[in-house]
Amino acid sequence: MKQLTLILFALVIGTSAKSQTDYAQSLSGIEWVKIESKSDIILKTHSSDELLIKGNRNSETSERAKGLKLVGEGGSDNTHVGFYVVQDGNTLIVKSLRKNDEGKIYLPKNQNISVKSTWHGDIEIDGFSGEIEADAELNGSVDILNINGPLTANALNGDVTVTFGKVKQDSPISIYTTNGAVDVTMPSNTPSDLAMNTTNGDIYTDFELKREEKNGLKSVSGRKVKATINNGGVNISLKSTNGNIYLRKK
Amino acid sequence: MKNNHFSDLLPDYLDNMLSDSDKQKIEQHLSSCIQCKLELDEMKLLFNAFKSDNVSVPSERLSAKFEAALSQEKSAIPKVVSIAPKKEKSNWASNLLKVAASVALLVASFQVGRVIQSQKNNQELIVLQDESLQFKQAAMLSLMENQSASKRIQGVNYIEEFPNPDEAIVKALANRLLNDENDNVRLNAFEALSNFTASETVKAAFINALEKEKNPSIQVAIIKALVKIQEKKAIVPMQKLLEQEDTQPFIKKEITEGLPKII
Repeated sequence: MKQLTLILFALVIGTSAKSQTDYAQSLSGIEWVKIESKSDIILKTHSSDELLIKGNRNSETSERAKGLKLVGEGGSDNTHVGFYVVQDGNTLIVKSLRKNDEGKIYLPKNQNISVKSTWHGDIEIDGFSGEIEADAELNGSVDILNINGPLTANALNGDVTVTFGKVKQDSPISIYTTNGAVDVTMPSNTPSDLAMNTTNGDIYTDFELKREEKNGLKSVSGRKVKATINNGGVNISLKSTNGNIYLRKK
Repeated sequence: MKNNHFSDLLPDYLDNMLSDSDKQKIEQHLSSCIQCKLELDEMKLLFNAFKSDNVSVPSERLSAKFEAALSQEKSAIPKVVSIAPKKEKSNWASNLLKVAASVALLVASFQVGRVIQSQKNNQELIVLQDESLQFKQAAMLSLMENQSASKRIQGVNYIEEFPNPDEAIVKALANRLLNDENDNVRLNAFEALSNFTASETVKAAFINALEKEKNPSIQVAIIKALVKIQEKKAIVPMQKLLEQEDTQPFIKKEITEGLPKII
C-alpha cells in the first residue's frame, strides 16, 4: 500500500514536471493555425482538440536565463517552451523563437495549417486531412506525408516531397520549388488535370498521361506538360525551375 | 292534275329527242288522253309556223353595223364580261384558295411564332449566359479573397472561363500577383496573366512585380515573359536586379541573356 501511494505520488510529480515542459491551448473557434520558425518544424496529429507543443529536454531554460524572458522577432515567450502564441480572430499564430531548435507540434487531424520556415528549417507534416500550406522560404525542404489535400507547398533551395492518401477535393493542389526537386506520390486512380513544368529540369512519371490536344495536334513540348489522368479532376500543378519533377503511383 | 300528263316532255318529243321508252310512254298516253293530243297538235302547229315563217335575214350593212355595235359594246364592258364568268367558274377554286390561304396563314404564323419564340429563347439564353458569366466573375472575385490559398488559386484558375476577361478581373489578378502572401497564389496569378500580355494593365503589373517580387521562381518567369514581349520599360528594373547582391545567379544569367533581345 505504501508502495502504491509512492508510485502514484511519483506519477503525479512526473506528469506535473512534464506539463511544465509542454504547452497546450484549446483550439475552439480557431480555423487556421499559422506556424512560423527559423528552424525545423515537425507537425503531428493527436486526438484532442488542442494545440500541444512538446518542449525539448535541452530547451529548458538555462541557469543563466533564469528569471529572464526569451525574446524573438515576432514576440516574447508566452508559453515557457520557447514559442510565442497569440490568437488573431479565428487564426492562431504560433512562432518559434529559438533559432536552432526543432519544435514538435501536435494538432487535431482536421486542422487547417499554414507552416513557414524562414531560414534553414525543414518542414515535416504527417497525417492531416485539413488544408495545408507549407512554405520553406530559404534553405529548408518540405516533407508531407499521408495527406489528402488541398495543398499549396513551395521551397526555394530544398526538395518538396509529398505523399497523398486520397485526393478527392475540388480545390487545387499547387507545388513548386526553385532549385530543388518536386517528388509527388499519389494513388493511381486519382482523377486530375495535371500541369507539370520545369524550366531546366526533367519530368519523370509512371502515370499514363493523356496529353492535351490542340486542333488534333499532340503537344510535344518536353518541359511543359499538360495532361489529364483518370478522366480529369482536381487541378494539380507541379513546377520546378531548376530541379526535376517526379510523379509516382502509390 | 297536270302531273299525270307529259306536257313538259312534248317539245322534246316533237324534236325527237327522247329515249325510246319515254317515246313509247308518251305515245301510249297520247292515244288515251285527248287533252294532251290537243296540246300536241297545237304545239305542232306552232312549230310548223316557226319553221314556215320566213326568217328575215338582215342586210349586209345592218349585220355589219350590228357586229360593229356589238364589238363596241363588248370592248366597252370587258371587265364585267371577264369577271362575271370567272367568278362563276372558279367558285370551288376560290374556296380552295381560301382554305389554302388560311392554311398558309396558319403555317406562316406558326413559323413566325416559332422564330420569335426561338429568338426569345436565344435572348433568354444570352441573358442566362450573361448572368452565369457575371456569376462566374463574382465567384472568381470572391474566391480570390478567400482565406484559403488553395481556394484563391481556384479563383485565379477560373480565368479559363473568360476568353476576354474584363478590366475588373485583370486588376484582381494583378492584385493577387503583387500582394498575395502565398507564393503559390502569386505564381498561379502570374501564369493566368501571362496569357494576356497584350493588356497594358498586365504589362504594368509585371514590371511592378519585377521590382517587388522576392521569389526567384516567379522572378524568372516574369523576366521570361517580359523578354518575350520585348517590353522596353522592363529594362531598368532588370538592370537593377542585376546589380543587387541577393539576386540569384541563375536570374542574373537569365537577365544578361534576355536584355539584348529587348534592345
